[in-house]
Amino acid sequence: MRPGAARAAMRGAALMVAAGLLLAVWVVPVALTLLTSFKNEKEVLAYPPSVVFEPTIKAYGAVLTGPTNIVPNLMSSLIVAIGTTLLTIVIAVPAAYAFARLRLPGKKPVGFYVLATQLVPPIGLIIPYFLILNRVGWMDSYRGLILIYLTFSLPFAIWLLVSYFEDIPREMEEAALLDRASRWQAFWHVVLPQARGAIAVTVTFVFLNAWNEFLFAVVLGGATVKPVTVAMYNYINTEQTQWAQLSAAALVAMLPVIVLGILAQKHIVSGLSAGAVKGVSRR
Amino acid sequence: MSKKGAVRLAGVGKSFGQTTVLRDVELEIRPGEFFSLLGPSGSGKTTTLRIIAGLEIATEGAVHLDGVDATLLPPGDRDCAMVFQSYALYPHMTVFDNIAFPLKMIRTPPAAIDAAVREAAARVRIDHLLARRPGQLSGGQQQRCALARAIVRKPALFLLDEPLSNLDAKLRVETRVELRRLQRALDVTTVYVTHDQEEAMSMSDRLAIFMDGRIVQIGTPEEVYQKPATVDVAAFLGNPPMNVLPARLAAGEVVIGEARVAAPHLAALGTRDVMLGIRPSEIEIGAGGVAATVTLCELLGDDVIIDLDVGGLLVRAKASGRTRVAEGERVHARFDPDRLHLFDRTSGARIAA
Ligand SMILES: Nc1ncnc2c1ncn2[C@@H]1O[C@H](COP(=O)(O)OP(=O)(O)OP(=O)(O)O)[C@@H](O)[C@H]1O
Ligand SMILES: [Mg+2]
Repeated sequence: MRPGAARAAMRGAALMVAAGLLLAVWVVPVALTLLTSFKNEKEVLAYPPSVVFEPTIKAYGAVLTGPTNIVPNLMSSLIVAIGTTLLTIVIAVPAAYAFARLRLPGKKPVGFYVLATQLVPPIGLIIPYFLILNRVGWMDSYRGLILIYLTFSLPFAIWLLVSYFEDIPREMEEAALLDRASRWQAFWHVVLPQARGAIAVTVTFVFLNAWNEFLFAVVLGGATVKPVTVAMYNYINTEQTQWAQLSAAALVAMLPVIVLGILAQKHIVSGLSAGAVKGVSRR
Repeated sequence: MSKKGAVRLAGVGKSFGQTTVLRDVELEIRPGEFFSLLGPSGSGKTTTLRIIAGLEIATEGAVHLDGVDATLLPPGDRDCAMVFQSYALYPHMTVFDNIAFPLKMIRTPPAAIDAAVREAAARVRIDHLLARRPGQLSGGQQQRCALARAIVRKPALFLLDEPLSNLDAKLRVETRVELRRLQRALDVTTVYVTHDQEEAMSMSDRLAIFMDGRIVQIGTPEEVYQKPATVDVAAFLGNPPMNVLPARLAAGEVVIGEARVAAPHLAALGTRDVMLGIRPSEIEIGAGGVAATVTLCELLGDDVIIDLDVGGLLVRAKASGRTRVAEGERVHARFDPDRLHLFDRTSGARIAA
């Protein structure tokens, strides 16, 4: 074997080990949760933790159909997350496009403001937001919580999308304009398809953040709006923690995110390869 | 056939903020003409083309298309098609869809689109590549795809911005011929931007030479080559370009440093300082004339470029490749007195001779 090849093999192996270790950090807790969710109450508390046991799906039954089931909360989470994501995309895509293309006065300061909102710690905003929602009577309402989420997701999404739009050569749109496309058609047929990957990335992030959010949901939500992150606390009370149910609920709550990840992955990859094609036709 | 595609720029100027990049552009392009905008990099050719296309709005003057004031007309209403230097193909569409795009925008029925796309693609010989994406094409094929997209709609005016500059030298020469043939066949007014003088000279009916945001000369390739209007145009055209030397006219002689060239027909111009221009091909080695030292010989096949030192000035001569001279050799160079170009020393303008 040539020395170069040996070194390459070594490097490959080292990379695999490093990647494996990193992956373990994420996988081990999920695996433990998965194991726990199939245990009964006694085995849950056994020490050392049992690895071989008779699995039961009782916990899942309780979580999905029991008196304290989380199905309404999953719905609640879905409404909040989908609502936030849709509104974010509908507003952020044209906004980012405008930032990237149009010669607007005051573009710089507005751009800075958009980014600056990302630097404010959320905890500092919770009391003002509480007071505002209380005043307008939007406490414990979907529009209230979605509005609050938008204040975070919009700047983030705009900031993320602007750089993608800036990378699409202006000349492509100009070619479309010369070929009788309206500004809107140029955007729809030429720009938007090339930003598909970027939009998929944005959707994934915004949905994920809204789905995982806990702090604002617990303070600004209530009986009507109670996302699954908050509802998880049903299984933790002063007397005992129902570990199996809690684990089952956590795994069920992860599902939509995993599905979204798988769906988006394809688009993200195709977005990347479209970028490569674009590189060829640029000067 | 009713000819369309007349372009007239009247006193067009363009500034971006504080910087003025175009001044006093006066231009008249006739229907059916192949007209080139030639000039060094940054001289304002692309800006002029974009003003004709409506992608930039002139800050001074007016644009007339077919006699109509089009200064403020949006690009889509000008009936012109453009090939960008970067081609600007749509990477997410197939070649077919790229070419079909202009037709879709004007709501052509699908059957007609199909026929027109195939015809346009066949004209530029990419009809076998219709299913590919631009990223899967070679540079030359991408260029053809951009051409097909431009011709498919049969526009009144065809705007090309250095369409050959991304091709290799051999393909560039071939495509040059093809492009010219295509333009003749379609009989469409064409404005062609290039910084390659050979391209402009060989393809154009007429051309405008840009320097520093102004047009310095408009004419047929022959006119600008034979009678360059300024010393800059003279030094820009030809390969190698014209020699430009400080000289002095005195009593029917041109004095270049120590050397003197008899030119009795110039006696009427009196005594004055000038810039003298002479094409390398108008200098003959060996048959008498001014004394010179050969500093470099560059054989280019049929021709040889000989660098001469004439009293401290660099003068290039172009001779037949069979000419045998060695570097360092003392030779005589004869300047053809009938082929001297004279320019004013200060303004650089041509002095009629
Ligand atoms: N949008 C713009 N803002 C400011 N300056 C510009 C802009 N577009 C062009 N310029 C300037 O105008 C001048 C002419 O540019 P232009 O692109 O017309 O040159 P060109 O003759 O096409 O050159 P090249 O052969 O390099 O393409 C250049 O100095 C350029 O920097
Ligand atoms: Mg240019």
